[in-house]
Amino acid sequence: MSFSDATAAVSDELAARDDIIICDGVDKWYGDFQALNQVSANIKEQEVVVVLGPSGSGKSTWIRCINRLEQHQSGRIVVDGVELTNDTRNIEKIRSEVGMVFQQFNLFPHLSVVDNISLAPIWVRKRPRAEAERQARELLERVGIPEQAEKFPGQLSGGQQQRVAIARALAMEPRIMLFDEPTSALDPEMIKEVLDVMKELALGGMTMMVVTHEMGFAREVADRIIFMESGEIVEAGTPEHFFTNPQEDRTKLFLSQIL
Amino acid sequence: MSSELEHLARGTAELIASADEREAEEAASRPDEPSLPPLEWLKVNLFSSVLNTVLTIVFGLAGVLAYQRLLNWAFSHEREWDAVRVNMRALFTFTYPSSQYGRIWVTLGIVLALAGLSLGLSRMVGQGFSLKRISTWCMAWGGAVIAGILLVQPHAKRSPDGEVLLDADFEPVRESFGTAMADRGWWWLVGVILFAVGLALWVVLGDVKRRTTFVGAVPFTLGVLAFAVSTLWWFHWGNYGQQGDIIEPGRTVKDSAKLPWTVMWLVLTGAYLLGQRLATTDRAGSIRVVVNFSWLLAPFITFWVILRDPQIDYAHVVSTDLPMALGFMIGGGAVLFFLTKPGVGEAGRIVGVGLFGLAIFNWVAAFFGVYPMLQKARISFLLLALVALAAHNFAGERSQRLRFVCAWAGVMAMLHYLVTMINAPSTVDAPDEFVGGFLVTVYIAVFTMIFSFPLGILLALGRTSTLPIFRVLSTIYIETVRGVPFITILFFFSTFLNIFLPDGMEIEQLAAAGLGFALFSAAYLAENIRGGLQAVRRGQYEASDALGLTTVQRTGFIVLPQALRVSIPPLVGATISTFKETSLLAIIGIIDFLRVANSVIPGQTVFLGVRMEGLLFVCMIYWIGAYGMSKFSQRLERHLGVGEH
Repeated sequence: MSFSDATAAVSDELAARDDIIICDGVDKWYGDFQALNQVSANIKEQEVVVVLGPSGSGKSTWIRCINRLEQHQSGRIVVDGVELTNDTRNIEKIRSEVGMVFQQFNLFPHLSVVDNISLAPIWVRKRPRAEAERQARELLERVGIPEQAEKFPGQLSGGQQQRVAIARALAMEPRIMLFDEPTSALDPEMIKEVLDVMKELALGGMTMMVVTHEMGFAREVADRIIFMESGEIVEAGTPEHFFTNPQEDRTKLFLSQIL
Repeated sequence: MSSELEHLARGTAELIASADEREAEEAASRPDEPSLPPLEWLKVNLFSSVLNTVLTIVFGLAGVLAYQRLLNWAFSHEREWDAVRVNMRALFTFTYPSSQYGRIWVTLGIVLALAGLSLGLSRMVGQGFSLKRISTWCMAWGGAVIAGILLVQPHAKRSPDGEVLLDADFEPVRESFGTAMADRGWWWLVGVILFAVGLALWVVLGDVKRRTTFVGAVPFTLGVLAFAVSTLWWFHWGNYGQQGDIIEPGRTVKDSAKLPWTVMWLVLTGAYLLGQRLATTDRAGSIRVVVNFSWLLAPFITFWVILRDPQIDYAHVVSTDLPMALGFMIGGGAVLFFLTKPGVGEAGRIVGVGLFGLAIFNWVAAFFGVYPMLQKARISFLLLALVALAAHNFAGERSQRLRFVCAWAGVMAMLHYLVTMINAPSTVDAPDEFVGGFLVTVYIAVFTMIFSFPLGILLALGRTSTLPIFRVLSTIYIETVRGVPFITILFFFSTFLNIFLPDGMEIEQLAAAGLGFALFSAAYLAENIRGGLQAVRRGQYEASDALGLTTVQRTGFIVLPQALRVSIPPLVGATISTFKETSLLAIIGIIDFLRVANSVIPGQTVFLGVRMEGLLFVCMIYWIGAYGMSKFSQRLERHLGVGEH
């Protein structure tokens, strides 16, 4: 599927905005295995993109390439006007602009919740400690767990940990947020509390790329859905288009299995 | 630098605090199990089945026999325990002059004061001992003493001139059982009192109360120590000797030791109470940091400043040492203040790399004699260059930068002060080395720990680094050292090290041996820490990277704290080995604790050939040290929650 197709499927209002992420013919191999095959898509400012696909389809690999946790081998990735290359200064700049939330939370177990959130603002953004801690508490308020500030990650439930992880990413005041299956490791009763935080974030105008299996979330929140399989973008479109009128056979098959 | 350490210390303190809460919760949720009546307990634990009964009887008998043998040996009239008693000073400090003995007491006082403060400030102290436990101990020890009294065979009879009387089969003629029992009146008293106290506690308190009443571990220990010290005031512990053979009849242990030991006890107790007081104030966190730094500095101060009493050349201090120290403090501080400015960018890199090149050239120049330079200037330059290279990681607001600069100035002040002290000749004049005995054991062990820990961490990081040069060099170093017997390294360092040093630099045998210890132990520590590094999950690296932390920040704030927590058990194991391996110092001619017992005491005319008593005593002291460390590590593990995830 070509670059223009994936981008064309956005509303007129969105189309008028600037591109904040540009992926152009991105390839990625693990040894002989091609994980990404000519992936091209542009993401607009304040757009919410949900990436769907069967497991092993390369969707996690793709969003991990966007903050260079994985390195692509060919093609071009430009984030917020900076191209990702081997230059470490570029990488650090990109990473402080792009927040990421992981499937396994990856909170720092030896630091309290407040320290988890304020560490990077203090040492990367060079904020005064008092200000960073105040901001951390405000963010905890925003994700709905202000009372957990002094606890350690091990003392929190999965849903609470994931909300702390979101607060930690937000503390860097990123322009883009990447979510790598944020609810897949959670017990069913905790999924909603995390999705609610993400919805609120989307309504607040954050640019988001979300890899998830939560179809309800995709339908309700996404501006655009990108469907991937075998490292390729198969189909892209608005939720309405995607769920009611899919064009490709592979998409239809996927939807029939999942819905 | 200080703020990072504070940050880490705060993290650890919070971790411990949370562990406290966890422990309290656990204690509250633990089911309250009533203790079994004694006969029931015996039945359940020792005689539950035929096999269990047979095993209990066989091993019980073996234990009793071994106990009897040991006691017969220890309490035989042939044992010369005087050899240990009289040589107490020799065992602990060897030939340290008695006129200067105040220095030893000051050193011990500093250590005890710090220990008391740390104990008082520590949040790791748990509930302490339950009265049930104390009661069981009292009864067990009382029972052991009474059993011992009954088991030890009566003494051999002696003729008026001290010869042992022998019967027709050349076996010693022994006193009657009744006389022997009557002779042991004091022991009876001790055994019966201990047992009675234990029994009384058990019976009077009742089951629930004795399980739920606790005596703090520290107050309990202080009480036991108070009793031990008080014996110096009313019990005649005998004479002690000085300088090898001469036993001074007039000077008893009781007279010369009671006052200092009482003062030592007061220092410990006072510091503990003060520490407890400070722990409740707002500044407890920063006080903990200060106390921990003092622990780090204490060995250097006590060893080079107090025990040696350096004779300082003030003219040289004013003309050279002071200006140089101030130069590094102020000049270096200014450079670092510039380099920690946020967004200093390329200029910072150029300054850092330039300084590093200069520092390296200083060392190259030293080997080829291009220009002379004081060794401490070379070391300071190198340190400045290394800190400068890492400075951008610690950039921040003005107050943070100022704290960083102050930490640098503090380190420089301390370093130059200590180097001046070390270079000044010692006024403490003693034959051979001025320390020996247990003192040298402790100092070598402590210095080894202080130097090998950072080196071990660097080696472990090097070996896991993605940069091939570090990985290869670290691997070569670690594998080489681990492939060579320690004694070889010790011989090498004590004999040949001076050949490899730059011109005009010499190193004493003891220091060389210490260096050998540190370098050897670092290789083993590195492997332990590497194990810990591998236990840190990949997600932690990814999360740190995704937040934009630099490699230095990631390593210091995220990876190392977690890796070191996991490595506590093996690290303490390595520390205990180092403590015991110091006995190898005897091989290269340094007179340590073990050598005093094994060679010095048996060589004295009064105690010719008396060796076993001293060795048993040495074993006991080593055991107390090693067991204490092991207990401490268990406590640390429990409080840091190692292995609980």
